[in-house]
Amino acid sequence: MLSPRQPMFRVLRTLPRLQHASRRWSSTEPPPAGGHSYTIGTSSLLKPTRDVALRTQGLQWVDPMDSDPSRDMLGRETRKMNMYQAIRDALSIALSKDDTAIVFGEDVAFGGVFRCTMGLAEEFGRERVFNTPLTEQGIAGFGIGYAAMGHTAIAEIQFADYIFPAFDQIVNEAAKYRFRSSGDFDAGKLTIRCPSMAVGHGGHYHSQSPEGFFMGAAGIKLVIPRSPIQAKGLLLSSIRDPNPVIFMEPKILYRSAVEQVPIDDYEIPLGKADVLRRGSDLTVVSWGTPIYTCESALELLAKPPQSISQHVPPSVRSARVELIDLRTIMPWDVETVVESVQRTGRLVVVHEAGRIGGVGAEIGAEIQKKCFLKLNAPVKLVTGWDMPVPMQYEKFYMPDNIRILDAMVETLTF
Amino acid sequence: MFRPARIPRLSQALVSRVSRVSHARGVAGTTPQLPQHALGSLPTSTSPITSKLHFFNSVMSGEKKIPTYRVIDGAGQPIEGAEVPEIDKALALKMYEHMVLLPIMDETLYNLQRQGRISFYITSFGEEAAVIGSGAALAPDDEVLAQYRESGALLFRGFTLDDIMNQCFGTYLDSSGKGKQMPAHYGSKKLHWHTISSPLATQIPQAAGVGYAIKRDPNRRGKNCAVVYFGEGAASEGDFHAGLALASTIPTPTLFIARNNGFAISTPSTEQFYGDGIASRGPGYGVHTIRVDGNDVLAVFAAVKEARRRCIDEGRAVLVETMTYRVGHHSTSDDSFAYRPRKEVEDRKRLDNPIVRFRLFLESRGWWSKEEETALVKRLRDEVNAAYKRAEKLPKPPVEEMFSEVYGGEMPWNLKEQREELKGLIKKYGQTWEPWKSELKKHKGEGKEFLE
Repeated sequence: MLSPRQPMFRVLRTLPRLQHASRRWSSTEPPPAGGHSYTIGTSSLLKPTRDVALRTQGLQWVDPMDSDPSRDMLGRETRKMNMYQAIRDALSIALSKDDTAIVFGEDVAFGGVFRCTMGLAEEFGRERVFNTPLTEQGIAGFGIGYAAMGHTAIAEIQFADYIFPAFDQIVNEAAKYRFRSSGDFDAGKLTIRCPSMAVGHGGHYHSQSPEGFFMGAAGIKLVIPRSPIQAKGLLLSSIRDPNPVIFMEPKILYRSAVEQVPIDDYEIPLGKADVLRRGSDLTVVSWGTPIYTCESALELLAKPPQSISQHVPPSVRSARVELIDLRTIMPWDVETVVESVQRTGRLVVVHEAGRIGGVGAEIGAEIQKKCFLKLNAPVKLVTGWDMPVPMQYEKFYMPDNIRILDAMVETLTF
Repeated sequence: MFRPARIPRLSQALVSRVSRVSHARGVAGTTPQLPQHALGSLPTSTSPITSKLHFFNSVMSGEKKIPTYRVIDGAGQPIEGAEVPEIDKALALKMYEHMVLLPIMDETLYNLQRQGRISFYITSFGEEAAVIGSGAALAPDDEVLAQYRESGALLFRGFTLDDIMNQCFGTYLDSSGKGKQMPAHYGSKKLHWHTISSPLATQIPQAAGVGYAIKRDPNRRGKNCAVVYFGEGAASEGDFHAGLALASTIPTPTLFIARNNGFAISTPSTEQFYGDGIASRGPGYGVHTIRVDGNDVLAVFAAVKEARRRCIDEGRAVLVETMTYRVGHHSTSDDSFAYRPRKEVEDRKRLDNPIVRFRLFLESRGWWSKEEETALVKRLRDEVNAAYKRAEKLPKPPVEEMFSEVYGGEMPWNLKEQREELKGLIKKYGQTWEPWKSELKKHKGEGKEFLE
C-alpha cells in the first residue's frame, strides 16, 4: 500500500484512513466501542428520525415538490448517513446538477482519505473527479482559475493543517479576485473543503482549526458544519454561494455523527447561526466538534456527578443556557448572538483553536461593543492554549466539558 | 551486494508493467520512446537501468544546452536556414505600430510618475518584440493571465490608450477595477485579459485551471488556450512548479510564456537559477518547450504561433522562453544603475534593438519608409498625450465605490456598518479636516453620497 516513493509525511497524512480501514463502518452499525466521544454518538442534537430531520430549522428545499409550500415536506425521504456520507451526497448532487462542477485534490479519485468522494469518480468520470499532484498552492490556484471562468470548482485540501501553502492563493488571490477587478472577474464559484479540528491523536498537523487565520481575509466566507444534515445543506450553499468559501469539516464527526439526512437537494443559508437550546441566563457560542462538548457540559452543569459537585453551586444548576452553533464563521451572525446576549447578559465562546487572534477574540470584542450595558460578566473564552496541538497532552489542551463547565460556572457566578 | 534469487522473476514482471505505462504515455506524446534495455527498468519509471555511474547536469560541459530560435539578424535579414513565418503586410505593420507605440506610451507614463502625477509605473523597454510578437500570435479570445510587463499584448488586443490612462490615473472610467489597484494592473473581461495582481507567479497555476475550463467547455475546446506570462524571477516561485505540474499531469491547453529579461529587480538571472534557464525545466515536466530570441519579433511570433497550435491540437501545455534584456528600470521605484553599469544598458539598446531589427526587415520588404516612420511617431505621441490629458482631468470614482465588490451577493453586516461609520466621519470632518476635504474634491460627486 505504501510505495517507497512516498516520503514519511505522506504516511502520516493517510494515518486516519489506515486506522479505519480495518473497521469499515457503515451507517447501519453502531459507532465503534470506545472509538468516539460518548456525547457525539448519543447527542440529542442529532436527528434520529425522518420527521425531525425534515423539520430541521432553516432548511430550504431547492426543488419544490408541491406548489403549496405548506405541503412541501410530503414525499420527502431521508436516509441514515454519517457526515462523510452526507458530504458525498452533497457533492453528488452538485455534480449532477451543474455540468461545470469538478471535484479535485489529493487522493480524491479513489474516494478520499476520509471517504468523502467515494464512488464519485466512477459515477461522474475522471474528467470531473480527479487527483492532482501533491501541491496545495497548486490546488487552490487551479481552482481559482477554473472558477474565474464561471465554472464550479470544489477543491479538497487533505487536512486543514496543510492549507497554509495555499494561504497566498486564498488570501491574496481568491479573496481579492472580485474586488481588484471591481466585479469583472471573480473566484466565487470556488469552494475549498478541508477536514479540520482535533481527532484525539492528530498531533500538530492533523488537528488544527485554522479558521481564525482566514477570518480577516475579506472576500472569503468560512463555514463549519456540526452534523450530517448541516454538512449537506451548508456545503450545497457554499458551492452555490457567489463567493469563495472555505468549508471546514470537523474530521472526528465524519463517522461519529449520524442522523437521518433528507436525500433531496436542499440548502441551509450561510451567515445564519443556529440556536440549538433556548435560554435566558447564559449564551454559549461554538461551532463544529465543541458543540457536542458544550452539550455534554450543559448536562454536567444541570446534574454534576458527585465527584465534582462541590464546584457547581446548586444555584447555577438550574441556569437556562442558550446554546448557539455559529455555523458560518465569516460573515458570522452577529444579530443572533447580540440578540441572545442582550437577553442573557453573559457569554462564553468555545473553540478548539488557540486564543490569541482567534475567532473568539473577534466575537468577544464585537459583543462587548454592542452589548456593553447588558453584560453582567466578562465574555469568557474557552479555547485551545496558545501552542501547537500537543500529541500526548490533548486531554489537557482541548476545551473539554470540564473546562466549559468551569467557564459557565465562573460566568454565572461572577 | 546480497541479491535474492527472486529478483530476475520480479523484474520481468515489472518490465511488462512498464511497457504498458510507456505505451500510455506514448499516446500522450510527451515521453520519447526509450530503447529497450536488457536490464529492464524500475516499476515507477520508464528509465532503462544502466551499469554506468554517470551524473547528469544541464549546465556543465558535455551536456547540450537548449538552443535559441532566431529568424532575422540585426539587419532584419533572415539568418541562414531560417524560414520567415507567413505574415502579411497588414499584420506586420500592426505589430510594428504597437512596438513603436509601447515605448512612447511607457516613456510618457514613466515621466508622469517622475513628476508625481501618477503613483507608480512599469515599463516594457527592450521587451517590445517578446510581448507584441507573442500577443500577435494569439487568438483575440485566448484567455491571458499576465504578470505586469505585457501591456503591449493587451494594447494589441484592443485595450485603448484611454483604458490604460484611466487605470493608471485611477479615474471613475477605469475599466480594469474602478481605481482599486496600483497603476499597470490592467484587466478586461471583454478582451479575455484576467486582471493583473502583484503577487508573482500566482497566475501560473490559475492558468492551468483556466485551461481546464476551456478544455471542458464545448464551445471553446479545440479553439482557445490559456496563456500565462511570467518573468524568469517569478519562475523561482513555488507556484511555477505547481502550475507546470498541474498543466502537465491534468493535460490542459495552457501556454506558458516566460520572459527571461536577465533581471528580477536587482537580481541577475545568474543568482536566480543555476540551470539552463527556464526552458530546461519544461522537459522535466514533460512539456513541449522552445527557447526563442525575444528581440526577434518574427521568431517570437512563429514560435508562439506553433506553440499555440500544439497546445490546442494536443490539449497539452507548452512552454516558450523568450530571451530579452530589461532595458528599463524594474519600475519607477527602482534605479537600476545601482546594480548594473549604465554602459551595459546603452550597449544593449544600441546593439540589439528589437524595434530597429523589425523596421529593417519591413524596409527590406518595401513595406516601410522613413517618412512613414516620422509620421507614425508623431501620430502616436499626439495620441498618447491626448489620452493622458483626458484622463488626468477626470475625477476618481465615487468614494462609496470602495465598499463594492468585496463580496458577491449581499454585503455582509460588518461592511455595511463600516460604510456607515465612514459616512458619519466624512459628515463630521469632510468639510473641515483639510486632508479629507481636498481628497474628497478629487472624487466623482465629491463624497456627496456620504454627505447627504
